[in-house]
Amino acid sequence: MSWVQRATLVQGSGEEGDVFDEEADESLLVQREWRSHMLRRVKEGYRDGMDAGKAVTLQQGFNQGYKEGADVIINYGQLRGTLSALLSWCRLHDNGSALINKINNLLDAVGQCEEYVLRHLKSITSQPHVVDLLDSLQDMDLSHVAPAEKKMDEAKDERLCENNAELHKNCSKSLSEADCSSLECCRIREHARSENPSLTWILEQTAGLVKQLGVSLDVLQHLKQL
Amino acid sequence: LGGFTAVYDWVLFHGEGYREGYEQGSSLGVIEGRHYGTLHGARIGSEIGCYQGFAFAWRCLLHGCATERDSKKMKALESLIGMLQKFPYDDPTYDRLHEDLDRIRGKFKQVRPCRLSPRERARGVSVSPGCWGRGPRSRR
Repeated sequence: MSWVQRATLVQGSGEEGDVFDEEADESLLVQREWRSHMLRRVKEGYRDGMDAGKAVTLQQGFNQGYKEGADVIINYGQLRGTLSALLSWCRLHDNGSALINKINNLLDAVGQCEEYVLRHLKSITSQPHVVDLLDSLQDMDLSHVAPAEKKMDEAKDERLCENNAELHKNCSKSLSEADCSSLECCRIREHARSENPSLTWILEQTAGLVKQLGVSLDVLQHLKQL
Repeated sequence: LGGFTAVYDWVLFHGEGYREGYEQGSSLGVIEGRHYGTLHGARIGSEIGCYQGFAFAWRCLLHGCATERDSKKMKALESLIGMLQKFPYDDPTYDRLHEDLDRIRGKFKQVRPCRLSPRERARGVSVSPGCWGRGPRSRR
């Protein structure tokens, strides 16, 4: 049983009687006061500890997320850059508006793909890992405080768990945080490819465009990881 | 003795609450940090990726034109590619991140061949930070 839980149990176990009850035993009043002090100390300590813990790991989390975000999105940036180069080529060689319009449409499509992936990344990183969430929920079972709030939290946590279940079904407890993180990165890429067929279409169209321009397909060589 | 007991109680109970709070805060810090880190990393990855894609494709296109081979533009292009290859785009702790990023942006302006069309200007594409084409809305 956690100290926070114990403290709230202690608070709840005494009667919330009238503090001006003249018949109350003085020792009972002293006891109540002591419990109240204890609860306040525990809560203050909890707040201080929460702030300190957050400060320590915020940068670590930022660095981790930064790498994930950059590694996933860079491929879409490369595709955009490649199309921009082909667009410039067409303009320089006056290839006609039909091809230029086609490239502009493909550029728009890549932008949409990027936005889709970014939205997906945002939704993934705003949720805790299922394992950590369940552990902390068990420790934080404040059953004597605000039952209505607890019901709302449970419903919210259930939704979070459901949303994470698919993401983490391949991530067993034995994996380290780093392993889970890179697995998530791969899953995001796979998810984006499978759920976003337009990326395949864009690549096919780009290859067709290159052939139309009479340019070597080597111009797409650096995109092979897509 | 009463004073000592009070201090002892404070240390004991505050400490226990602190320990639990620290564990919770540590987990929350990772989540929050990761969320913001992802957005920032994606922004940089998108921009750098665009420069990379353009530079490699453009080099390939120019190699087909013998007259361009020794021009100043070609030298600037090779310089840009060198800078991009050295730039650790996925490392937020890189101490020269902003300086190098500015240098890359400046070099890209030397390399790119033409200005934005009215359509691209209408897309709200910013010239300085990256290639033309609609990147994620969060960049605007």
